[in-house]
Amino acid sequence: MAHRWGMVVDLDRCTGCEACVIACRAENNIATVGEEQARKGRAMHWIRVERYYEGEFPDVRVKFQPVLCQQCDAAPCEPVCPTYASYHTAEGLNAQIYNRCIGTRYCANACPYSVRFFNFFNPAWEKPLHLQLNPDVSVRQVGVMEKCTFCVQRIKAAEIHAKAESRELKDGEPAPACVQSCAPKALVFGDLNDPESEVSRLSRSRRGSKLLEELGTQPKVTYLQRDSWNDENL
Amino acid sequence: MERRDFLKVTVLTGATAALSGCEKPAQQLVRFVPEQDLVPGVAVWKPSLCTLCSAGCGLTVRVMEGEAEVVRKGQLGLIKMGLAKKLEGNPDHPINQGKLCARGQAGLQLTYHPDRVRGPLKRSGPRGSGNFQQITWEEALGEVVSKLQELRSQKQAGALRFLIGRLRGQRRELIEEFLKTVGSSPAMVFDPLDEPVLRQANLLSFGRATMPSFDLAHANYVISFGADFLGTWNSPVAQSIAYGEMRQGHPGSRGKLVQVEQRMSQTGANADEWVPVRPGMDGVLALGLAHVILKEKLRPTRENGETLIAGWQQGLPDYSPEAVEKTAGVAAKRIERLAREMAAHTPAVAMIGGAPLAQTNGLFSALAVNALNALLGSVGTPGGMFFTPRPPHAEHEWGGFAAASDFAGQFLAGKLDDTHVLLLYNANPVFATPAAWKVRDSLERIPFIVSFGSFVDETSAFADLILPDHSPLESWLDDIPESGTTQAVVSLAAPAMLPLHDTRAMPDVLLQIAHQLGGDAVKSLPWQSFDEMLQASISSLRTAETSPPVDPEKFWAKVQEQGGWWSEKMRSDAKQTIASVAFGGSASKQPAFKQPAFRQHGKPESALPQFDGAEHEFPFHFHPYVSQAFLDGALAHLPWMQEMPDALSTVMWGTWIEINPKTAAKLGIEQGDLVEVRSQHGKLQAPALVSPGIAPDVIAMPFGQGHENFSRYASGRGANPMTILAPLQVAETGSLAWAATRVDISKVGRGKLALFAGGLRERPSELEHR
Repeated sequence: MAHRWGMVVDLDRCTGCEACVIACRAENNIATVGEEQARKGRAMHWIRVERYYEGEFPDVRVKFQPVLCQQCDAAPCEPVCPTYASYHTAEGLNAQIYNRCIGTRYCANACPYSVRFFNFFNPAWEKPLHLQLNPDVSVRQVGVMEKCTFCVQRIKAAEIHAKAESRELKDGEPAPACVQSCAPKALVFGDLNDPESEVSRLSRSRRGSKLLEELGTQPKVTYLQRDSWNDENL
Repeated sequence: MERRDFLKVTVLTGATAALSGCEKPAQQLVRFVPEQDLVPGVAVWKPSLCTLCSAGCGLTVRVMEGEAEVVRKGQLGLIKMGLAKKLEGNPDHPINQGKLCARGQAGLQLTYHPDRVRGPLKRSGPRGSGNFQQITWEEALGEVVSKLQELRSQKQAGALRFLIGRLRGQRRELIEEFLKTVGSSPAMVFDPLDEPVLRQANLLSFGRATMPSFDLAHANYVISFGADFLGTWNSPVAQSIAYGEMRQGHPGSRGKLVQVEQRMSQTGANADEWVPVRPGMDGVLALGLAHVILKEKLRPTRENGETLIAGWQQGLPDYSPEAVEKTAGVAAKRIERLAREMAAHTPAVAMIGGAPLAQTNGLFSALAVNALNALLGSVGTPGGMFFTPRPPHAEHEWGGFAAASDFAGQFLAGKLDDTHVLLLYNANPVFATPAAWKVRDSLERIPFIVSFGSFVDETSAFADLILPDHSPLESWLDDIPESGTTQAVVSLAAPAMLPLHDTRAMPDVLLQIAHQLGGDAVKSLPWQSFDEMLQASISSLRTAETSPPVDPEKFWAKVQEQGGWWSEKMRSDAKQTIASVAFGGSASKQPAFKQPAFRQHGKPESALPQFDGAEHEFPFHFHPYVSQAFLDGALAHLPWMQEMPDALSTVMWGTWIEINPKTAAKLGIEQGDLVEVRSQHGKLQAPALVSPGIAPDVIAMPFGQGHENFSRYASGRGANPMTILAPLQVAETGSLAWAATRVDISKVGRGKLALFAGGLRERPSELEHR
């Protein structure tokens, strides 16, 4: 049976530590753009931690929410691409084919989650920082959109590894870099086609919902809302 | 010529100078014969250690073949070599269990940083200018050895001082042994992130000058006084793993987190209840909670027939909720409710860290929180606080209180003024001390300074010689984590990759200097290289758990393979082990709470904090805090950290001051306005960030930016809050009270903020278009 990769983000576990943000940058060769470009809104973070303040001092609350590509089943970014650079893989991923992309940026406009990023210039790594680049992930050129892939290279590597050992993938075996790094285990990744997988089990949680699901995008990322503490003993 | 010597196999030119290179032999690159056998495209994972904070996490390094420009035997050339590509947590390591924080992952950029010192340097400009010229290792070492011989012949060995940052394990042992053999005093430690006040409180309360560990996974109630334990404090990765368990690891029960502070930290943002308290009143609030527990007899006050806490028999009459409300600013009813909640939801544990310990009454507050833990029955129990056991061979508690406060104490006592030769390793006091200390002037007066730094920073800019260390990934490393686990841990790692530049490992250089000096130094430091010393020290652990002991070579190989040694039998069930193992297995060995500690040091006259600056002239408390990205500023040179949006502010590449919306409105300050912050000791400017998570009379600012001289990415960026701090000290310790300065602020113009929040697509910045 084909895999259908999905993720659960448990907002009760997420601490806003940003480990996922750097894990993603390191794994996927995401370029830094520098202060001037960052101020123009051109910084690229395939995963980011949104934070929402509620209330006023002294009754303030903050909610952290990691946001990455929701890998929608009805992805608004896909039909708008004139060159079929944004497309849907057999395993349900919203892929971006960099050498088809001509940089119309229609997909970024269509995406309600703001998780697609445009390369406004050729990325540069001041030597020898280029040696940190992951050889398994291509470096994107100027004029190309880029986005979260659920670390497809890590999924493929795990599949190849399992095949070499003549076995099926284990639950939790392929882990995108963000999931691998997450200390409080707020991020869980796995196969939604396997009803017994941890990601499937958690997706059915009473705390679960999808981001902007009313738009009909059918995301494959489920957010588990933050729990509250109830004092039943007092 | 041996095979491992470089060979001119082919002559390559730099990619940018394909033709001209042929005409200029100086630009031609030699291709070296590879020194390792690697399969192209196949990743190898090698253990290493994270050295960026005191937690001491284990790493696994993804190494793949690549082509790098390197220096071998003084010759620049190209080589195919194993290159570190990504850092992840070592899944077997007891501290971080496969996880790693953002900072640790960005540690990869230390190795490949374009501004690393690539070979030995000699100062060529005035001190502090950062101008250096290249020299050879032989020249550099010769100069150091002759200086030390000069000191010895003049019988002035005491005029040699070694200033180090946080350093444990055999590298520390080697430095101390080296200093002893040449007749000098022990190393001075400078670590702005250390908590010497908490160490002293723990020494008084529990007999151990050690950072505490917490069994958060099994706690039902956690109250943290200022400790950013999910962000930057103590052992953040271990604590975050346990926090996830506390939240959702036990179906049907979910622990409560209460955070007490004036400015909402990353940890405070995750709290179920956020309790703003007046600066420095944390200890008083803790006693208010204890008052309610005592008055309502919610917890036993006697243990084994003895009074639990001396001085508390009368029920802390000075700390009634009504009295505490007046001083600490927390409502009496809230104090009563919190006290009842924590007493009803044991295991309940209290912790204190950060700003409350950096008030002049920090020791009082820490002792109060320790005593509160004793009252809650949370010392050495599951769901409570405990101390990580030390490995059998570790004799010294390096990082202990006496050493940790050393720099402040010794510097203020004028010890640097007697110094003729100063060796520097991983310490940057010029950046991270108040300007009022005038560390810069003291360094100017030292005749000869040698730095082992990998980067030119504000302090090593004063060095006469720089003998650059390998990067951590290129080094033999060991560490003894102090907290964060129930297991005794000795981390150890071989180099994950070969060195890129003409650098040498600091321990190897020290050994070489010792051997050149001759005499006693050779006898006590007989090793040719640091790995021999490491092997000798760790082999004593062979007998610790297995009998008969395993073969020494096999043991050495196993330790390298797994990234260290840890006591295996202590892993299985934290719940059982905390009580039975962490304290040595028997009740008599537990570091019992020393009941008189509070009576002796917790007198009412020590309860209240003092601040620098009169309230009418300086109406705001200045609250600097440890940066999520840069810690104390030592990571500001990493571009990944600069571009990482701060979790609460989303600021990238800059610094800011946090201000309450009502205060901002009153002063006519808007988001992004450039604000001047003024204390009795100096002033700085930074853009304003209007934030609801801060008290109206508090101005907060992260440490870390404002470097004058620290690589292309950090230099000249933002402002350094250290520069305006008052040189106040925490009572009964020599520690800097860095949260005790009062300031005034005023708007001076428009500033610039790079925010990630509020829109991600390319957009004209609202700040620039106003």
